Amino acid sequence: MKGVLFSARNLNLSFGGVRAVRDVSFDIGRGEVYSIIGPNGAGKTTILNLISRLYDVEGDGRMTFDGEEITRIAAHDIARRGIARTFQNTELFEHETVLKNLLIGRHIHRKSNLLTELLFTPAVARQEIEFRKVVEDVIDLLDLQHYRNQVIGSLPYGVRKMVEVARALCIQPKMLLLDEPSSGLNPEETEDVAFWIEDINEDFGATVVMVEHDMNLVSTTSNRVMAMADGAVLAIGEPAEIQSHPEVHRAYLGD
Amino acid sequence: MRFLFKTNYRQDVRLFKHNGQRFWYSLLLAGVLLAPLLMDEFYLGELALVYIYAIAGIGLMLLVGYTGLVSLGHAAFLAIGAYSHTWFLAHGWPFPLALLKASLITALVGAIVGLPAMRMTGIYLAIATLAFAVIVEQVIVHWESVTGGFRGMLVPQAQFLGLDLSGSTAFYFLCLFILLICLLLALNILRSPTGRAMTAVRDSEISAQSMGIHLARTKSIAFAISAGFTGLAGGLLAHKMGYLAPDAFTILISIQLLLMVVVGGLGSLHGVIYGAIFIGLLPQGIALMRDYLPPAVSQIPGLEPGIFGFIMILFLIYEPLGIYGRWLKIRQYFELFPLYRKSTHKRQKSYLRTERMR
Repeated sequence: MKGVLFSARNLNLSFGGVRAVRDVSFDIGRGEVYSIIGPNGAGKTTILNLISRLYDVEGDGRMTFDGEEITRIAAHDIARRGIARTFQNTELFEHETVLKNLLIGRHIHRKSNLLTELLFTPAVARQEIEFRKVVEDVIDLLDLQHYRNQVIGSLPYGVRKMVEVARALCIQPKMLLLDEPSSGLNPEETEDVAFWIEDINEDFGATVVMVEHDMNLVSTTSNRVMAMADGAVLAIGEPAEIQSHPEVHRAYLGD
Repeated sequence: MRFLFKTNYRQDVRLFKHNGQRFWYSLLLAGVLLAPLLMDEFYLGELALVYIYAIAGIGLMLLVGYTGLVSLGHAAFLAIGAYSHTWFLAHGWPFPLALLKASLITALVGAIVGLPAMRMTGIYLAIATLAFAVIVEQVIVHWESVTGGFRGMLVPQAQFLGLDLSGSTAFYFLCLFILLICLLLALNILRSPTGRAMTAVRDSEISAQSMGIHLARTKSIAFAISAGFTGLAGGLLAHKMGYLAPDAFTILISIQLLLMVVVGGLGSLHGVIYGAIFIGLLPQGIALMRDYLPPAVSQIPGLEPGIFGFIMILFLIYEPLGIYGRWLKIRQYFELFPLYRKSTHKRQKSYLRTERMR
């Protein structure tokens, strides 16, 4: 571990009477692959939504990223700080091609303004080409060449999940949040997921935080695992430790 | 089938993707440029009206088709454009500047109307914009010192550098020229980050946000651009009408504009043109048809809006993608012949997005 990239302190969140997240604190190291596991309703996705500022942290909870406080910044500023994410059931721009979806990932890097874009000045054209080069690198990394010009609505689910990861990578994030990357994928595709998580972590240099149910995937890829139940942290540790942790067993199987 | 062999990223940024497109669009341009030689004054005027509708339609399409925000208030933007253009002309501004300023003022109003749109979508936004249109109508009626109230306002002749633009041929070319510029501007927006941000907001607000897109700003910009185009159309429409009165910009106009983009095909600029032709020429078609119908049928009041509504319903049921969507399917049929199957475009239900977070 080369220092702490992200840290959360005393995160709390309630939906009405349900306390979805209770006093959750954790640190994610730079360059780590960090998994969050737990039974349904444990608050895993809620943690990701808190990090990407879709929900507001309650009370005195705090989040810092890369040395800066991000607890109260706007949701659209999160990407600019270097945090990208995917969604559990994919939230792609359905009526656009894969290429356009990925180009949207470059949005935060735009230098043009409305006026230059209306006139489509040579600078805007050059910017488009630069965006395209980054996008093509990501396409190469995740083998999406086939689908470049296909509309999302016509793609199989597994490919959509890949496109969503690719779109997040186009941001060139320091930290990538993956919400159940293997859900809805067949065993073969899940194996691929393990490979590209490694690629993203090593070649791309991004810290990966994922919510995942597939313990096989979690233990082959993760450096550390956080187990949750009923909104609270049960245990944090290496995958093998967590798998044999009595509290975790109880959460999954009952007494 | 045409296969494009791409060797340069610039090919995807260009306006025309291949020589075939370049050829057909040049042919179309030659056609509309030669139209004054082939048509009499009346039809030339109708065609100019189609172009004006198309300009307003581009504005509405950017908002409804690309940003996914419904507006029932576009008649108000048309009115603001028409009145401010006329006001500037009457106060001695040269024609192009008056038109430009009218468009900018309308865009500004659009941006302000867009502010509450951050919190509203769908039917609520439609109602809010409808309310806005009613307010504008009232303002026009009561702000007599500027708008002339119910007395109305005479539109000065369009002139530029001593050139009379009010003749039917000159006005035709004026409308065509401005339409071409508007199309170019719209295409530019759509192939650059702002246009992509708009489609992102349309398809998924939540992930647009996570991609770093400022939702409120994007929606407000979309409203401003949309209003700007519509205001421009309003300025031209003022000349077409010759005399402005508050009852010229009713909710029916807003509905007609919306009908235009839906029938033409949401989410494409081609659709705007098809829709404008449809809206602009259908009244003439109905008028011609009346002559051949038995008087008992042709004299029914409200025949025209009735037919409009009926066609709208047919499109919503059988071809939600509009005329342009139908054209794409026909083209694909020939491209894939004989492999095309009836089920190629069968509508499917998707059960994937069950746990969508709003």
